[in-house]
Amino acid sequence: MLDNVYLVVRQQTPVWLRAVTYLAGIAAGICVSAVILLASGISLGALVNEFIVFIFLDAGGLSQTLTSFIPLGLVGLAAAAAIKLKFWNIGIEGQMWVGAIAGTFVATYDIGPESIRLPLMFLAAAIAGSLWIGFPALLKLRYGVNEIITTLLLSYVALLLVQNLLFGVWRDPDSGFPASPLYDPDVEQLAKIGWGPLHSGLWIVLGAGVVWWWLMNISRFGFFMDCVGANPVAAKLSGLPVLATIVGAVILSGGLAGVAGMVIVAGVEYRLTVHIAEGFTFSSIVIAFVARFNPIGVLVAAAIIGGVYTAGDTLKVFYQLPNATVVLIQSVILLSILIAEFFSRYHVKIRKSGGAYWSSSSSTG
Amino acid sequence: MVEAEKKHPAALQLTGISKKFDGRPALDLASFEVRWGEIHSLLGENGAGKSTLMNVACGLYAPDEGRVAVNGMQVRISKPADAIRHGIGMVHQHYKLVERFTTAENLFLSCASHLGASKIEQVARAIIEKSQELELDVNPYARIADISVAEQQRVEILKMILAGARILILDEPTAVLTDMESENILSLLRTMAKDGCAVVLITHKLREILGCADRVTVMRAGQNVLTNADVSTVTRGSLAKAMVGEDIAEKTRPKRKLGKSRFEVKDLYSRDLANNRGVEGVSFQVKSGEIYGIAGIGGNGQTQLANALIGMVQPDSGDILLDGSSIGYCTVVERRAAGLRFIPADRFQGGIIADQLAYENFCMTKTLDGTYGTWMRLDRRKMRRDTARAIEEYKIRGCQTETPSRLLSGGNAQKLLLSRELDANLTVMIAHSPTRGLDVQACNVVYDSLLRAADKGAACMLISEDIEEVLALSSTVAVMSRGRIVGEFTADEVTREKIGELMLGHA
Repeated sequence: MLDNVYLVVRQQTPVWLRAVTYLAGIAAGICVSAVILLASGISLGALVNEFIVFIFLDAGGLSQTLTSFIPLGLVGLAAAAAIKLKFWNIGIEGQMWVGAIAGTFVATYDIGPESIRLPLMFLAAAIAGSLWIGFPALLKLRYGVNEIITTLLLSYVALLLVQNLLFGVWRDPDSGFPASPLYDPDVEQLAKIGWGPLHSGLWIVLGAGVVWWWLMNISRFGFFMDCVGANPVAAKLSGLPVLATIVGAVILSGGLAGVAGMVIVAGVEYRLTVHIAEGFTFSSIVIAFVARFNPIGVLVAAAIIGGVYTAGDTLKVFYQLPNATVVLIQSVILLSILIAEFFSRYHVKIRKSGGAYWSSSSSTG
Repeated sequence: MVEAEKKHPAALQLTGISKKFDGRPALDLASFEVRWGEIHSLLGENGAGKSTLMNVACGLYAPDEGRVAVNGMQVRISKPADAIRHGIGMVHQHYKLVERFTTAENLFLSCASHLGASKIEQVARAIIEKSQELELDVNPYARIADISVAEQQRVEILKMILAGARILILDEPTAVLTDMESENILSLLRTMAKDGCAVVLITHKLREILGCADRVTVMRAGQNVLTNADVSTVTRGSLAKAMVGEDIAEKTRPKRKLGKSRFEVKDLYSRDLANNRGVEGVSFQVKSGEIYGIAGIGGNGQTQLANALIGMVQPDSGDILLDGSSIGYCTVVERRAAGLRFIPADRFQGGIIADQLAYENFCMTKTLDGTYGTWMRLDRRKMRRDTARAIEEYKIRGCQTETPSRLLSGGNAQKLLLSRELDANLTVMIAHSPTRGLDVQACNVVYDSLLRAADKGAACMLISEDIEEVLALSSTVAVMSRGRIVGEFTADEVTREKIGELMLGHA
């Protein structure tokens, strides 16, 4: 039946077309989700309220969306940095964990003067994240060990390390819960900026976005990343520093993920807990892909996905929806966006005449 | 089937076959015939159209015109299943086996219906029976990924036979085999022919043709040069000549003034990226102002040599000298800084990055040395300006500075690459098949550029399978075979015949 239907690569996709396909994708995803939610007994009015009004138009909802956008934007950039160079960093959660550990270490043992305690915590987080990805990077670049496996497994190592610390030396002596002692509010917590839960981590992610934009579009490094990502063989033969570019991008990726972990701890939780990094790896990869590694696109995609997460939380809390339904809806919307991405790159062509496609004169022999 | 075969001597006849790819003829009224009970050899250089012609016979390509007849009856073969129904089987150069499956599982995919088998075991039993009958060493339960190339080939042959093929086409079956294994395969083919099968043997090796084929057909540039000739009527020399072309009135090349030795390769041994040996002790010198041509059939170490010279891989041993100083173990970046320039065989694989814009590709090689801005800021305006100038100078059509490179045609992409590589700092040019797939006009641009570079004192190397261009441009012609330089001639003493014989190898 589909013998005469072909997918043809678009040579160039105009910006408006990409915007239209994405919007259509999101709309389609929301429609399918709406059907699921209506079937679970939620009224149409409530849906509109939660999905459109609360997430993007209500001040309280928007501040919540932006709060979840902060770490998502950072991990989106982290994933974009590595995956652009075909280094599959599936260990973003691990790098977030070790970032959070390093920052908590600085906070707990009161390292450095108080005036620069917070910057020190973030610096430690970035370094820890970079080191954590450095090991898989070394194995891959030196010995060809598959980084998907090593980064993924090191995530579990990092999680176990967190659990070891929280059930051990860092257990909060006051409450006895597996969480580190509360950060010092004046010197170790990110300040609220006076709009709901939104904290000054917002400036970190926006700053990272700007720096990333500069790196990709203005600096020489971004040019190398483009070339090496597209064709490492041609880049090497053309005399570009392929290895240095890959190492640089991968370290940047780990560092950004470390900072993302720190942002959650210092901006929302104020203590290291065992839940902070859950689920970020997959969101980050979706964000990077949907945005096609474009820095502004990463931030936009992170904001939209932040909105989807906020809506999910609301549904869970106010409508007693099971977590599975919420995850289902989030997945449906993400899948719709990915499908939209596909159609912005290919168009469907129907061949009228029959015959074997080998006879097509456009065959490249 | 066997009864029917006796009625007509010709098993497979291809008549007046033409086929164009992207408007370029790959086959131009080519014809071929193989009879029951014979081995018919098909000879020609790479790109002569041998494989294309046979792919028409086995249903992978539909010809633009021409007729196919099996057993004297005209048939329509529009898909591989048609070919199999008519008893035509082909072993391709690149085996078409599922690596993760066992032999029996692979053959189950293609032969189950012909064998009437519904279980893997039935196919395995058929494999054991047939392999014993043919004295082929094949284990039906071995995974393809675990067995040698030679055994994979035996599996392919069994696959073809068990699918009911009586017309057997083998595309360069001995290219990847040792001498011993080759002998085994050839004797199997003789057995099959004696058994009444029609065998088509595509090969480069004269020895095999003279030793085991009954008839031979030679192709050049998509056309027949020699058709259905009896092997007793040909000689090694006449075949070589037919394959590479007659010595037409030699163009008188202007004598080039050669300077002192500029580029020297000393006893170089090197591997490819997959760690296979490719270059087996190569030594030569290229003088300033010289074009040093390396002819040879593809796959004899040329790619590995080119990669070792530009620095994509580090050699195992030996050295490379540029103006007397060693660069054999330097990185690509260092070699380029010394003036080494490179045109890869596959321009979109090793030279131009298809996803990048034209100006980005043009300026790529000079971004690291500070020609275009600093680390902080890449001077894209200057990049565009320089590119615009090159586009004008080289008359690169359909190309603006902002054109995505993948939209450039082969010729224009090559011009972009040439304009980039032929810069003022050029000392040594390594051009590997620089005219592959180009039209005449673009070829001339390539030739002129190389000659101009040599005139300016660069040492140029032209590694090519196209004898025509090697002879037309080179002051010195070397022939590469099995990873070595097997002969070197000055422009005065070289003839097509000498090159042709060395290319085909005496071994």
